Amino acid sequence: MTQDIALYIHVPFCRRRCRYCSFVSYAHRQTDIPAYVNALKCELEQRANREQVGSIYFGGGTPSLLPAEILGDLLAAIRSLFDLDEAAEITIEANPGTVDRTYLADIKKAGVNRLSLGIQSLNDRELEMLGRIHTAAEAIDSVKAARNAGFDNLNLDLIYGLPGQTMKEWQMALSGALALKPEHLSLYALSLEEGTPLYRMIEDKQLPAIDPDITADQYELSENLLTQHGYRHYEISNWALPGRECHHNLVYWHNQPYLGIGVAAHSHIGNHRFANTSNLDKYLTGTLLPEMDEAISPDLELAETAILGLRLDEGIGVDTRYQEQVEELTAAGLLERAGRRVKLTGRGRLLGNEVFWRFLPE
Amino acid sequence: MEQAFTRNFCIIAHIDHGKSTLADRLIELTGALRHEEMGQQVLDSMELERERGITIKAKAIRLHHKAQDGELYRLNMVDTPGHVDFSYEVSRTLAACEGAVLVVDATQGIQAQTLANTYLAMEHNLELIPVINKIDLPASEPQRVLEEICSVLGYKAEEVLLISAKTGEGVPQLLEEIAKRVPPPSGDAQKPLRALIFDSRYDAYKGVIAYLRVVDGRISKGDRLRLMGQNTEIEALEVGFFAPGQSPAPELVAGDVGYIATGLKSLKECRVGDTVTLTVGGATEPLIGYQPPKPMVFAGIYPTLAEDYKDLREAIEKLNLNDASLTYEPESSPILGHGFRCGFLGLLHLDIVRERLEREFNLALVVTAPGVKFIITLTGGEQLTITNPDEFPPPEEIEKIEEPWVKISIITPSVFIGALMELLTESEGKYKHTEYLGQSQTQSELGQRVRLEYEMPLRCMLTTFYDQMKSRSRGYASMDYEFLGFQPARLVKLVILVNDVPVDAFSRIAPPQSAQAVGRAIAAKLKEVIPRQLFRVPIQAAVGGRIVAREDIPAKRKDVLAKCYGGDVTRKRKLLEKQKEGKKKMKLIGKVDVPKEAFLDILKLG
Repeated sequence: MTQDIALYIHVPFCRRRCRYCSFVSYAHRQTDIPAYVNALKCELEQRANREQVGSIYFGGGTPSLLPAEILGDLLAAIRSLFDLDEAAEITIEANPGTVDRTYLADIKKAGVNRLSLGIQSLNDRELEMLGRIHTAAEAIDSVKAARNAGFDNLNLDLIYGLPGQTMKEWQMALSGALALKPEHLSLYALSLEEGTPLYRMIEDKQLPAIDPDITADQYELSENLLTQHGYRHYEISNWALPGRECHHNLVYWHNQPYLGIGVAAHSHIGNHRFANTSNLDKYLTGTLLPEMDEAISPDLELAETAILGLRLDEGIGVDTRYQEQVEELTAAGLLERAGRRVKLTGRGRLLGNEVFWRFLPE
Repeated sequence: MEQAFTRNFCIIAHIDHGKSTLADRLIELTGALRHEEMGQQVLDSMELERERGITIKAKAIRLHHKAQDGELYRLNMVDTPGHVDFSYEVSRTLAACEGAVLVVDATQGIQAQTLANTYLAMEHNLELIPVINKIDLPASEPQRVLEEICSVLGYKAEEVLLISAKTGEGVPQLLEEIAKRVPPPSGDAQKPLRALIFDSRYDAYKGVIAYLRVVDGRISKGDRLRLMGQNTEIEALEVGFFAPGQSPAPELVAGDVGYIATGLKSLKECRVGDTVTLTVGGATEPLIGYQPPKPMVFAGIYPTLAEDYKDLREAIEKLNLNDASLTYEPESSPILGHGFRCGFLGLLHLDIVRERLEREFNLALVVTAPGVKFIITLTGGEQLTITNPDEFPPPEEIEKIEEPWVKISIITPSVFIGALMELLTESEGKYKHTEYLGQSQTQSELGQRVRLEYEMPLRCMLTTFYDQMKSRSRGYASMDYEFLGFQPARLVKLVILVNDVPVDAFSRIAPPQSAQAVGRAIAAKLKEVIPRQLFRVPIQAAVGGRIVAREDIPAKRKDVLAKCYGGDVTRKRKLLEKQKEGKKKMKLIGKVDVPKEAFLDILKLG
């Protein structure tokens, strides 16, 4: 059986946890990397069914902590187990504090053809507040190193809506990032997760509370500035030069199948979505017992397709059963028609949740 | 036993001055119960009563005391409710006794209800035995309190007993004094029966149990009886007394305190204050004028979940069986759904009912702002009685509004006089007079104790007054009030509009001069508690069509999940499901989603 899928590999190691992070990642466990890579290979062998793979994405954590030869090893394993497209998009997330030109050139040689650099900010005070391990200068250097290593498909992650961050500061960050001429930009409003150090710092009033109206203004500023620079706003938080959209992520938003390998990785195959254990030690024992496994009913599938699809600029073709929601949301100015499709309006992009929950089945 | 050796007495005290502990000690000392048989406090049987340190329903216990004079005395101890809301019941209890033990806390001295109870006891010609309790506490000041009792109440020092109900010190002496000083009952067993009902409760097996004091004549099991005030005919299915367990007896005679089982299904047919006589050959004159207590404070009680309405109705009906002074009638509100407009004797009564509904019946409730009864005369001459602000007629139709007033008496150390007078004035109080209590030698740093007397609308006492009084006097002030009657009022209905829709649950009755301030406070609070909507929501306060305050809740601008990749789909969908659920839990007012908590927050505003 050949089915086109996207392959995600989770690398849960970090030098240090960022203050805003609530993802599954482990600091000070880098000695486990070799064992972990073995476990990944085992899982790949068990899950693989010679599917056709259109994209690979190494996410984390900090995948750039994987030595280049190990990465090459993993890719070789994947090639032998799956039917990897010639032109497959192979992305790795990298922390600017962990990479140099040599490393980048080596992973490029191993087959990685897209680099996503988590620069997050170009202001050292903000980077320190976020608990990042690199400075703004190092972030800029990493972009130059990537170019030198031959990467021609580069994404930069930036975070806005930081505690106390002004419009001016955000504009500086954006301009700085644009000057680096990335093919792709992911701009994320800081989402304050309970239990993170940053959350507590705001609770304890060490940092000012986040003003959602300023965050909204910053978002609108980004839209204007990036449009002027020729980027297409193709997803709520993602912009790309024409043709440089992230193929791998589009699979998610199109609600197409993907296979997640590694600790806490999620997969969506057929009508099941399931997740591996998020406990690293358990995963290292080789267990593939899912931590979560849900059957997606046809109703839910339809709703999720709409909810995910509406994140995209292309919008969705509307099933007649959503007539009522579409009319209500169009009247409220959150949705608009584009030919036979509907999509979020500018205001709707900022109020997406108000749109999305209305598509959930009873 | 001869009437000459019967003593009927009650214990009166301000809240927490130790009435129940003293009752326990008396029961234990007279051997009615051994120490190990004593429950926490025998007379306060409801859990709630114990927690609040008050006694809600009066009961009576028969004790025996072998006095130093060699005689065996029968002591009928009648428990009294300890709160001003139940003053009607207190006065009926006092009418059943010849004597009263007045308990004053040695750490606190005379408090507002000490005085109110003392005056009531004096009105009923009771022999009063003042005792200073809690002398075992390090903070006690028996000497100062003694001076206060002597100078304020006019007792001689040797007439006042020093006791500790907790340790039992001085309590045997008190038993002696009760036997010695309280006069025996004076009724005549040969006259036609007259007995006063001073309390009643509902028993699932025996129907209404009436506690009564036989003044004249006798009651035997099987007697056909008539309640003179209500004209209810009953049979004495059982006659007896409590010692402290229920002890059936062949008869109760003049001077006795005991109970009869009536078989009646509702307390309403057997109200406190009524006189019981025989159907045949009965008395012609009742003992005292019978008047059922009238509810003074009203509030809507609604279930938080509409489907609990039936449970709420059953719970209120059950509660009403044992609490005849609670009134209720169904009402419905476009916002809160179906519920009941309930009438209470006072705020404490409301609180007790609410807590019992929540605790004993496990209900989640929304209680609307407590209000009073207004008598409104329309321009056409018609008179309306209104207990719900919703029913307030438009201003142009109103000729005259009358509202209930109370006389309020506050006892406080003098340093707080200024703060309390300010509170009373803010609360529309009218100054009557100030009285210094006693010439204390031992001056405390808080100054002398003073009694302030004011008259004020009951309406102004209903929300934050009591808490304010306590906080402005660092907890020292105590209060008591009595109902004065209805007086003309200048009041307006302050209507709150949410997105141009008037919301009765937020509306208030207020004097015109404070309508704007109240309106501003409510609008500001609503702005805080109503989440931003997809559109701008104006909150307005209006008096008769004129807007007196306004706040705008700006439209929500940002509510979106920044990231949604493969690993996020399930978790983020769950967040959206939660959002959808949350939306369902809101009350929809027009197009605006208002959280349930907003209603409580507005109530708490006062």
